[in-house]
Amino acid sequence: MSMRSQVYEWSNLQANANQLRRTTSDLPVAVVANREYDIFTGGLGNNITKPAETTATQFIVIEDVAASPLLGGAVQIRINTTDYFQNPDVTDMSGIPGLASPYPRGAPSSIDTALATAGAVGDQNILKSFDLYPDVYVLPGQTFQILYSSRDGTAASSTVIVSCFLKYTLYDGPDALIANKLLELGVTINPNNVDWYKRSLIEQQQRSRAVAGGQA
Amino acid sequence: MSMRSQVYEWDAARETTPQAVAGYLGNRTSIFVGGLGNNITKPAETTATEFVVIEDIAMTPSLGTLSTMPATQTVRGLITAGTTNGILSGVAGPRGYVQVRINTTDYFLDPDNIPNDGIPGAASPYPRSINFQPSFNLYPDVYVLPGQVWDALVTFYCDSFATANFAAGELQCFVKYTLYDGPDALIANKLLEMGISINPGNVDWYKRSLLQAQA
Repeated sequence: MSMRSQVYEWSNLQANANQLRRTTSDLPVAVVANREYDIFTGGLGNNITKPAETTATQFIVIEDVAASPLLGGAVQIRINTTDYFQNPDVTDMSGIPGLASPYPRGAPSSIDTALATAGAVGDQNILKSFDLYPDVYVLPGQTFQILYSSRDGTAASSTVIVSCFLKYTLYDGPDALIANKLLELGVTINPNNVDWYKRSLIEQQQRSRAVAGGQA
Repeated sequence: MSMRSQVYEWDAARETTPQAVAGYLGNRTSIFVGGLGNNITKPAETTATEFVVIEDIAMTPSLGTLSTMPATQTVRGLITAGTTNGILSGVAGPRGYVQVRINTTDYFLDPDNIPNDGIPGAASPYPRSINFQPSFNLYPDVYVLPGQVWDALVTFYCDSFATANFAAGELQCFVKYTLYDGPDALIANKLLEMGISINPGNVDWYKRSLLQAQA
């Protein structure tokens, strides 16, 4: 189990401030407009115990990030202190719009906060326009953040539920070493290529054994 | 029949006496032997001559709406929460997650290396529809080696059900896996040693390479 597909889902649902895990008493809480919330340790919604980071024997490949297509939602990836998505003039931006990478896929892009019935939910099915390729690498020892922001924010009285989704592959132990080696070689890091590298090592060993056997 | 594509569909309402939702809220429930819905006779495990590759796992999706949304509204086929414990969370659907466990190890972890609830139904919906499409693909697959016990554990946080009891289709889970048995399980083990992905194509390739070596 040294290559594992992992997911993390965040939403603005909580029962208490700085809540670690989901509970059955969670309620939607307001999201302030144009504020970046770290989905891991931002203090809003479900959080984890410490900032997301890789140990010396881990390698993470982020394969997908997505956000609710509502209220001008967007999601940015930050590795250590560097934002991944930038404007063409190299200035900061909010990241991938939820309209381009929606979560859930097929979600509506509008919601009428004045209505409190099923009709409030828009009838659009937003599909993804964006594919995170090439993937984003988090090298051993790096810290990463996924920052959700909403251009419009949510009203305090009729709070919209927004979510954010992260899909990544965690390479651990020997597979993290191979991932580093592939990075050095300039080969894309994915489970197939890690397996290919393992096979090539085995073949190399077998050839050298055969040569040694022939010489004896 | 030594490589077989298999599925398991679980529905919380598929039993003779409907059970109350409240007792299961926020708790992990095995879809095989959890005592809720359709179950099997013993925990899922592989024998010494079996190898299982889990290729897909999915469950009933959910959709966030508004904090002011009243209970029992039907939004895209999902019912909004608040029918049994009275918490109007604005979530339509069960707000469910599914975790895979091999022996005693949970497969899905948070970035702080603590096991989480697993794959959200919103990311891997079952059934799939125009309204709910998958964001998640279980790749690399999950291997259950010979002699291991495995489980799929469902957790849901919202009482988004028409009544206080489970009704058909309101809480479901789906697992797709391939069962390799006998000689094919041995080949699967060999492929694992060689660092080759285990799938029917590669098992067939290994058999062909053995035949070619003999010829």
